[in-house]
Amino acid sequence: MRSIFTFLGIAGVLLLFISLGMMIRSTGDASSFNRLHEVILIINVAGVAVLLLLVIGNMIRLGREYRQHLPGARLKARMVGMFVVLAVVPVAVVYYFSLQFIQRGIDSYFDVQIETGLDDALRLSRSALDLRMNDYLTQTQDMVDSLAGRDEQALVSILGSLLRDSGASELTVVGQNSRIVATSSVGASIALPSLPGDDVQLQLRQGYSFVGLDPVGGGGFVVRTAVTIPRFTTTDEPRMLQGLYPVTGRLSGLAESVQQAYTRYGEAAYLRKPLKYSLTLTLTLVLLVSLLAAVWGAFLWSRRLVAPIQSLVAGTRAVAEGDFHTRLPTPTRDEIGFLVNSFNDMTRRLADAHETANRSQHAVESERANLATVLAGLSSGVVALEPDFTVRIANRAAGAILQADLQSRVGAPLTMTGLNAQLLDQFAAVVQQRIEEDEPNWRDEVVLRTDTGRHVLNTACTALLGDNDIPAGYVVVFDDVTELLQAQRDAAWGEVARRLAHEIKNPLTPIQLSAERMRRRYLDTMNDTDAKVLDRATHTIVQQVEAMKAMVDAFSEYARAPALDITRIDLNRIVSEVTELYRTGEIGMELSVSLDRSVASVEADAGRMRQMLHNLLRNAREALPVDGKVVVSTTRRHEGSVELVEIVVEDDGPGFSISTEQIFEPYVTNKTKGTGLGLAIVKKLVEEHGGRITAENSELGGALVRVILPADEDGRSLLAHGRTMPVVSGGGIA
Amino acid sequence: MSERSGTSGHLIGFMLAGLVVLSGFSAPPSYAAKNGDFAIQAAYADEVDGVFYLNATIDYQLNDFALEALARGVALTFELKIDLRRVQRWRPDKNIAELLQLNELRYHALSDRYLVRNINSGEQQSFQTLRAALLELGDIHDLPVIDRALLNPKRSYIMRLKSILDIRSFPGPLRVLAVFFGDWRLTSDWYRWRLQL
Repeated sequence: MRSIFTFLGIAGVLLLFISLGMMIRSTGDASSFNRLHEVILIINVAGVAVLLLLVIGNMIRLGREYRQHLPGARLKARMVGMFVVLAVVPVAVVYYFSLQFIQRGIDSYFDVQIETGLDDALRLSRSALDLRMNDYLTQTQDMVDSLAGRDEQALVSILGSLLRDSGASELTVVGQNSRIVATSSVGASIALPSLPGDDVQLQLRQGYSFVGLDPVGGGGFVVRTAVTIPRFTTTDEPRMLQGLYPVTGRLSGLAESVQQAYTRYGEAAYLRKPLKYSLTLTLTLVLLVSLLAAVWGAFLWSRRLVAPIQSLVAGTRAVAEGDFHTRLPTPTRDEIGFLVNSFNDMTRRLADAHETANRSQHAVESERANLATVLAGLSSGVVALEPDFTVRIANRAAGAILQADLQSRVGAPLTMTGLNAQLLDQFAAVVQQRIEEDEPNWRDEVVLRTDTGRHVLNTACTALLGDNDIPAGYVVVFDDVTELLQAQRDAAWGEVARRLAHEIKNPLTPIQLSAERMRRRYLDTMNDTDAKVLDRATHTIVQQVEAMKAMVDAFSEYARAPALDITRIDLNRIVSEVTELYRTGEIGMELSVSLDRSVASVEADAGRMRQMLHNLLRNAREALPVDGKVVVSTTRRHEGSVELVEIVVEDDGPGFSISTEQIFEPYVTNKTKGTGLGLAIVKKLVEEHGGRITAENSELGGALVRVILPADEDGRSLLAHGRTMPVVSGGGIA
Repeated sequence: MSERSGTSGHLIGFMLAGLVVLSGFSAPPSYAAKNGDFAIQAAYADEVDGVFYLNATIDYQLNDFALEALARGVALTFELKIDLRRVQRWRPDKNIAELLQLNELRYHALSDRYLVRNINSGEQQSFQTLRAALLELGDIHDLPVIDRALLNPKRSYIMRLKSILDIRSFPGPLRVLAVFFGDWRLTSDWYRWRLQL
């Protein structure tokens, strides 16, 4: 569309110049375009006006672009300015000198001497003609005497005679009211004679004769004379004689030539000033059209030249803003076109590179998402560390194992102080120490200790290879194998128990029976001394066999794991019933019970709850001195959405002299009595219910065993699967 | 025949004045008619033997520009426009006949007389004074216009008459000025009357 307008504009300017050419021609000689002259002028003036409007419009537009600091506006303004200066200065110079040339050149064609000469020639011609005219007037005056008082017939005859003698071409007697009385002319003319005008008749009436020179239409002159014919009486009709004498010969030709030269020079001299004005006007129009067309062309040209630069700037901005798909139209095959082609090539390469980078990034993100999914699904904890031990990646299992929210610590140092994260602090210290000991790749069991017990983490650390063999980070994979080890230990003890039952218990009964038979058979036959020895020996054998049986039964009980019979029970009632049995025993002890009324209904195996309480109380009683004090309490508590029941058995005995971490191991005891399986069985019962058990030395000075059980099946499943149970008061852990 | 010698400053002033005139070039044509020194004093059409003849008296008053040009040998052409229009009720009148009479007036220096030439017929007359020549030009006497047979007696007709100094016949330089300067635009108003059938 813009090209069409430009083409139309150029065509219009060309038409304007053509019309200017026509105007210049018509200024000199109007014959060709005299009818179109006004139209041509109007076209030119309108063209100038249109060009002026175009230029003004372009200037306003350029000014606006300049003020708005549009790209390319300054360059365009500079180019237009330079072009205008380059166009205006020479044209103005040419215009000035052309004006001078018109002014002085035209004037130089006219000379006062020529004018004077022509005036003189005219006067000379007039003088020559005046002589001839006076001769003709005298002839005419001589004729009128012979015509006075004649009638019309006689006049015709006389006029014919006078015509032949005088050399006139026509003699006419004119009467009153311009009545032709008689006429005679050379040749057989049927046309009426030309009568004298009113001015001639007026002059005659005033008593003067008339003589004048009449130009003839086809060229040449006629001398017209008029003389009044004398009247004899006052009643005679006033008449006059008009004579026409042709000016012939050389005089006529010369007079005609002088007349034409005088007229032409006079006209030319008169037209000198209008000619200057017209030429100036035409030149001004040419100047305006040229200048305005040049300025307009400068705008068009600069716009066309700056357009690719503007698009380059816009394209560069687009690229800077991240749009790599910008393609610029190739304007020409010049340097600008080469630049635009290079830009297009660059953006194409950038777009390709960007797309490749995007694909790589997507692939990396996809891999990272997959890795995150894999890591999230892992039960093992995975922590990726930067070389400065800040957390790069940590999966959920890592946080659960280390009992800290590691995922929110991405980007922060692994070692967090003041967060009450004992496991994490110890773990971080171990990992950091091992790495700083220049051992980036290692695998080991890391034992962590907290208030609630020991945790064994099977840990492997691998360094990520970086540049120049400097580790780019570390990946630490660890798993809490505490329960696994416990399960292995339990399984081993179970196997021991089964073997005891199988290998030891079976021979015990024959041993006991044999000892009793020996006693019955030989006791009475022996003397007192031997009988006493036998009695004591067999008694010892039977007693020890009983003890061994009890021990084997205990082992058997530990290994036996019948299915739980979970029902809704009143835990407080069971606690009351069991504790009641211990109020009256061989060894008296002070037993106080504190029951939380809200601990009414609990889903648990009633038999195992009784067994657990029996074991705990028996364990306390065996450890207590005479008149020892035992406190049993139940409490209802919540941890998150999990409803729990807490049973605490506390005594004022000697307390635990061995590690509370090992107190629940089978055959570990600090008592003189017992099999060492009491607390191990209790722990097994508690864990079967999904609960946990801790042991510590109480404020009373004795031992304190804390059992925490889920109140219902939902809590049990939550405790069984969620190892993220937060740390609770009292030093217990989830 | 003496000439004033102009200066370039004068020329530039004229040029600027010309540009000012150019800028106001779109003035309506009636602007020039108001300055007209030609006046049609009387006009009528007589029917003789089935033909309408025009008789009119026109007062030609030349201004100084025209008088100077005439005195310097420039021929002036007087254009007499005659047209006949049929009156129509709801539409513009229809032009049914046009007649253009051209007369040329020039000064003959050698004889010191003014020549009037009818361009249509070629007939030429000379007059001792300009006044006499203008009177002759302004005296339209029995100029045949149209046959009655060509007119519908049931319709009414308007005859119009206008006289113009024809600037298109000027020499080129003068015509350029005449286009832009209203002083050269001598013209009469339209004189109109209803033709009596």
